[in-house]
Parts: sequence; structure tokens; C-alpha cells
Amino acid sequence: MKKIISLTTCFFILLIPISVAFSQVPTRVRVIEASNVGSIIDPSLKDVQSDLKSLSNFTSYRLLKDENLSLSPNRPIDVPVHKGRSLEITLVGQRKDIAECRVKIKSEGTDILNTQVRLSSGRTVLIVGPKHGEGVAIIALSARF
Amino acid sequence: MKESCSAVSKLLEKYFDQEVTDEEKSVVETHLLDCQACQEVLRSMEELRNLVRAPVEEAVQKEDFQWIWQKIERGIRLEERPTFWETLQSWLQISPLFQRKVWISAAVAVAIILIITIPMFFKKTPSLLDQSVIEYVESQTHNVMIYESENKKVTVIWLFEGPAEETSPS
Repeated sequence: MKKIISLTTCFFILLIPISVAFSQVPTRVRVIEASNVGSIIDPSLKDVQSDLKSLSNFTSYRLLKDENLSLSPNRPIDVPVHKGRSLEITLVGQRKDIAECRVKIKSEGTDILNTQVRLSSGRTVLIVGPKHGEGVAIIALSARF
Repeated sequence: MKESCSAVSKLLEKYFDQEVTDEEKSVVETHLLDCQACQEVLRSMEELRNLVRAPVEEAVQKEDFQWIWQKIERGIRLEERPTFWETLQSWLQISPLFQRKVWISAAVAVAIILIITIPMFFKKTPSLLDQSVIEYVESQTHNVMIYESENKKVTVIWLFEGPAEETSPS
């Protein structure tokens, strides 16, 4: 009996680092164009609509890109935002229901933003700017646990 | 046996065991002086006793009575030892403080203090770092503003166009 218990314990102890190492965080990245051209608000932006409106005086919010990524630890994922600009997102840490991500916005090879954010369930991080067309590009990041 | 032998024979066993009175003893001894048969009976009793005594004494010598006694003594001591509750009760009776039942209110006070203070020691106050969503932010090309909505569901990193040094206070 003791042998079985110790073997089971060893199995689970070995399993923990494996499960941690392979844990992936589903993350949603949305690229929104905010401008004063027209007054269209994309229906898929319902969850952040009120926050977007309270943040700025833009009248139109158009969804340019909606990507669901599966972030793995220390594996950067590139998401093209618009011409010459891209978003690089890397999962650098994970605790319970919080994912720590390093986010870089690159413009023609140069980092224009370097930040590290904590994404948790029900929270959204918006990166407003840089300029895009007549308005600005807004990047909305959220994680699902 | 003579005529008085039947009366003496009843006393003979008691005489042998030294359980007779002085009067009975003199009667038996007087009779034994003249009675060969009773003398023979007494002798056979002695022989029988000797026959039994030898192996018994031998067995007694072999037996370790010291060990047996120690065991018995230990058993007695165990039976005599008071229980924890009895010890506690006796201790409480000794102390005049406890006799007055002061300890009830003291124990209640200690319990209340512990209930209040223990969670304070174990309560983990979330650090500012744990509360914040943004761990760090830097931009060489833009001014940055961080904003958090009232419902704390949305955190905004705002990038302003233009070089940072142009608008930063100097």
C-alpha cells in the first residue's frame, strides 16, 4: 500500500512541472481603428464600447483584426497591426489566473512601445495609438482562463 | 489402637498442624507416650510432609519471586496513578484563583485576543505591484499615459505621437 502511495505521489510530482511547462494561455488580440470618420461602432466591440467612448472623443470604432492566440511561455508571437507595424506578445509568467505578458509594438524594426502587463480574466488592456489613417489604432488585449 | 485412640485421632491432625489448645496438646502428648499406633500415625504424617516439602522447596528455590513481585508492584503503581483529569482537578483545587472560577473569564479573554490577532498576522496585504496591471512601460519615441477605468476592468496605455523629449517638462 505504501509503495502505491509513494509511486502515485512521485507520478504527480513529475507531472506538475510538465503541466506548468506546457500550459498555454488563450489570449485575444483585437486591433481597432478609432476615428471621427462616420459613427460606426463594430458590434463585436460591445464589451469595451463604453470604455472606448469614455476614453476618447472618437465617433467610429472599426474592428480591423480579431485574433485568438495561444501563448506559450517565452515564445513570442508576432501579430501584424498595419503596414510596417507589428505587435509582439510573449508570455513571461503565469500565476493562477494571471498571465504576465511582454508586449512590444514595432514600427519598421524599431520598438515604439515596450511594456509588461498582467492579463487576468475579465480585464482588458487597451493600447491606444499610434496613428492609423484618419484616427488611431487601438490594440485590445485580454486573456481567457 | 487403644480405646481412647478414636478420640485422640481426631485431635492428632490438629496437633500435627500445631492448631490445638494447650489442654488438647497435653491430652495428645500423654496419649502418645503409651500408644504405639498413634505414634505410628504421627510418624507417617511427618514422612508424608517431608515427602511433599522437598520438591516444593526445590521448586520455590528455582522460582524468581523477585521478578514476580516487581511485576505485581508495577501493576499496583499503575492502578494507583491518577488520570490526567484527576491531576488537573486536584491542581485546580490547589490554586485559589481557579477555585474562584476566574480562569473562565481569563480564558475567554485570551481566546478573543487570539481570534482578533491571529488573522492579522496571516492576512496578506496585496502589494501595489500585485494590484497593478502594468508592470512597466517604456517608449523611446512616444509619450505614454496610463489610465485605468473606474470599474478597473480596462487599463489603457496611451501613446502620444511625437518624440518624448519634445513634450516632457525640462
